[in-house]
Amino acid sequence: MKRILFILCTLYIVPLSLWADEVVFKAQAPSQVIVGRPFQMTYTVNQRSRDLRAPEFTDFDVLSGPYTSTSSSTSFVNGRRTSSFEQTYTYMLMAKREGTFTIGPATIKVSGEQVQSNGVRITVLPEDQQTSSQGGSQSNQNTQSNQSSQSSASSENLFVRTIVSKTRVHEQEALLLTYKLYYAGVDVAQMTNNIKFPEYTGFLKQDIEQNEIQTELEHYNGRNYQTAVLHQTVLYPQHSGDITIDPAYFEFVLRVQTRQQVRSIFDDFFGTYTNVTKGVKAPGATIHVAALPGGKPAGFSGGVGKFSFTPSISQTEVQANEAVTIKIDISGAGNMKLLKTPAIDWPEGFEPYDPKVTNNFKTTTSGVSGTKSIEYLAIPRSAGEYTIPSIAFSYFDIDEKAYRTLRSPEYTIHVKRGAGSAAGSAVSGEEGNEGAVYYAQKEDIKQLGTDIRYIDTKQPKATGSSRSFVISYQYLWLWYVIPLLIAVVLLIVLRKQIREAADITRIRYKRANKVAQKRLKAASAALKANNKDLFYEEIERAAWTYLSDRLSIPTADLNKENITTILRRKGVSDELVKEVTDVLSTAEFARYAPATDHAMDDLFEATTRLINHLEDQKL
Amino acid sequence: MKKIKIRLFLAALVWSTMTFAQTAFDTANAAYADGRYAEAAEGYKALLAQTPDATVYYNLGNAQFKQGELAQAILNYERALRLRPNYPEAKYNLAFAQSRITDNIAEQDFFLSVWARAVRNSLQENTWFILSIGLFVLGLAGLLLFLLGRELWVRKTAFHVAWTALLFSLIAGLNGGSLHQRDTLRNEAVITQGVVNAKSSPDRSGTDLFTIHEGTKVTIRESLGEWCNIRVGNNEGWIRENNLERI
Repeated sequence: MKRILFILCTLYIVPLSLWADEVVFKAQAPSQVIVGRPFQMTYTVNQRSRDLRAPEFTDFDVLSGPYTSTSSSTSFVNGRRTSSFEQTYTYMLMAKREGTFTIGPATIKVSGEQVQSNGVRITVLPEDQQTSSQGGSQSNQNTQSNQSSQSSASSENLFVRTIVSKTRVHEQEALLLTYKLYYAGVDVAQMTNNIKFPEYTGFLKQDIEQNEIQTELEHYNGRNYQTAVLHQTVLYPQHSGDITIDPAYFEFVLRVQTRQQVRSIFDDFFGTYTNVTKGVKAPGATIHVAALPGGKPAGFSGGVGKFSFTPSISQTEVQANEAVTIKIDISGAGNMKLLKTPAIDWPEGFEPYDPKVTNNFKTTTSGVSGTKSIEYLAIPRSAGEYTIPSIAFSYFDIDEKAYRTLRSPEYTIHVKRGAGSAAGSAVSGEEGNEGAVYYAQKEDIKQLGTDIRYIDTKQPKATGSSRSFVISYQYLWLWYVIPLLIAVVLLIVLRKQIREAADITRIRYKRANKVAQKRLKAASAALKANNKDLFYEEIERAAWTYLSDRLSIPTADLNKENITTILRRKGVSDELVKEVTDVLSTAEFARYAPATDHAMDDLFEATTRLINHLEDQKL
Repeated sequence: MKKIKIRLFLAALVWSTMTFAQTAFDTANAAYADGRYAEAAEGYKALLAQTPDATVYYNLGNAQFKQGELAQAILNYERALRLRPNYPEAKYNLAFAQSRITDNIAEQDFFLSVWARAVRNSLQENTWFILSIGLFVLGLAGLLLFLLGRELWVRKTAFHVAWTALLFSLIAGLNGGSLHQRDTLRNEAVITQGVVNAKSSPDRSGTDLFTIHEGTKVTIRESLGEWCNIRVGNNEGWIRENNLERI
């Protein structure tokens, strides 16, 4: 029942109020006011309401109010009706003293429900010194003088300040440069496009996007000015030393009331304003840039600010030829744009690709902040267990004034032999046989670095006995002289022996025939006595001894081959050589064979003839 | 029974002295392996004070190289090579250390003399002399055979063997003598001071002739008081003795 009633009520209210179901109750007041100047404080609600309960304005005087006004509008756009309703309560307030005050929330009843507004914070600025010195009674005159100064927009009532957030910074430390317009008593209509910003040499600049220019009241040098931030830039000094920012130039269009004689009432009514362009120079500034302190860590690449570092790896168990991704998120504030990508020292066997960098930066008045994501992709080409060394990222912490190094953990990656081992399986598949053919890609050994060789850990040989045979330099000559002496002695001794031996040979040579003749005589005697054994022995002896003596062959070397060789060398005819061998063979043979007298006679003759022939040869 | 005891005692004594040397060497090696190079260098130096040894010099050079004492490292590699000319590790590390020094001394000598010096340095003095004497004896034997041999081919062969052996004996002897002279004169040195200006005369007021840096090997030609006349490449000049250390 109650529900139905509610619906009916709503239906009735709908045309009057609006479709909006959300109640918006807002308090509005200028954020800066001046002591002794009245200002408006409004409460707006978008539905019909009643019973406004304003908070206590303890620090302000309520001059008048609240005035209530309502407005509603309905519009049809493309057949859709939109309507708005607004009820406004206005107070005229005046600040009692300077300072910053908070006006608490007000409450109001909307269709029986209490709704609370927001609180308002108001900064109360002191009065202009000029005004206060002249006192309230002369305020009228003051406005006059103010108006008179309007025409001549002097540097006192229209200027641009160059505000730097810091004048002493470190290299790469962000500083905020603000150009702020101050004006009082003049009417600035707009800013022209004829603006000249300095070059900012020595800085890296990052402009801050500005949507629209908002004016604010500000008490500066004893005067209240309307101010507007014209331009803001975040600057990063690129080198140490004093860096000067050159002056900037701005141009404004001022609306100036012409000081002409009032001709008619209409002229006076519409006013006689002309637009005047006025150039304003903003002063330069000097920034003292301190160099970064020494002791830079190895991985330092110029990052200054405050950063955090989140490393992650896609997988640590992979198959060969399957990609591995390491991702690093560097987030924080500082000279993000200049951050270099930290390098990963991939182990051999990994094929790294260029890292993919995604920047998500935002420029605020406190500098550039955001996240830099770096994705490193590498493909392991062969199975095994690899360790990726920790990735170091170093930066200069601007708050702690010290270098910090952030490190990722060391990753160990197990690379399993891939199922489709590249070329190998392809070939085996084609061949269609069991014996798979594997092709290994041949690689030269890569030189990764150089260093000295390692120490020798083998224990040196036991001392003392190591140099067993040392030749003393002092007695070195002895080592030459002694062998020389030995050689000389040997030479003398051997020479003598040889000579003696030679003598024996000569004697034997000379006596050879005689000896042979003696043997032959003995043989002839044996022949006559018919002593067969003795005959052969004497004949053989005669032949051998003769040859031995004549040819100087030692008895040990005496045989048929030697004899023939030497005879041939001495130029004896083949016939004679054959005769010699025949005689020797016959003598040898006949000795052990049953022989006749006739054979013995023949042999005797042959031997005698042979010796005679050899004698003729003059061997 | 008593005899056995004494023998055991003696054996133990010998063993303990041996192990002492061994442990000192191993301790220094362990310090090196741990990266405590200064400690390792001290250990090697103590060992060298007892007996010079190529291995210990080499290890000391390594420890000094790791500490960045380039000149000392070069010096000790040179010393190791003096004791053991055929020491590939020492040669390698010496070349490596020399590639790090500032001065680039181009060998200005004729290539044959460079080659001859390399041959000379490839063996120790003692080895050269033993070789020379051996060849001398061989030469004499050949000579005897040549003089007394009966067969023509024997005499021919003996003659060639004799003259070749005697010639090489002479060469080996000269090499040995040259090494002996080098080691007794000790006229090769390594610059130990960072930067040294060589002067035109052996006093402070002499004109600066040229600058040499730590680790450069020089030849000392003459010594006069605390000054040395050195030769490096084609330059000659006087520097103070305390700026260098003889190998």
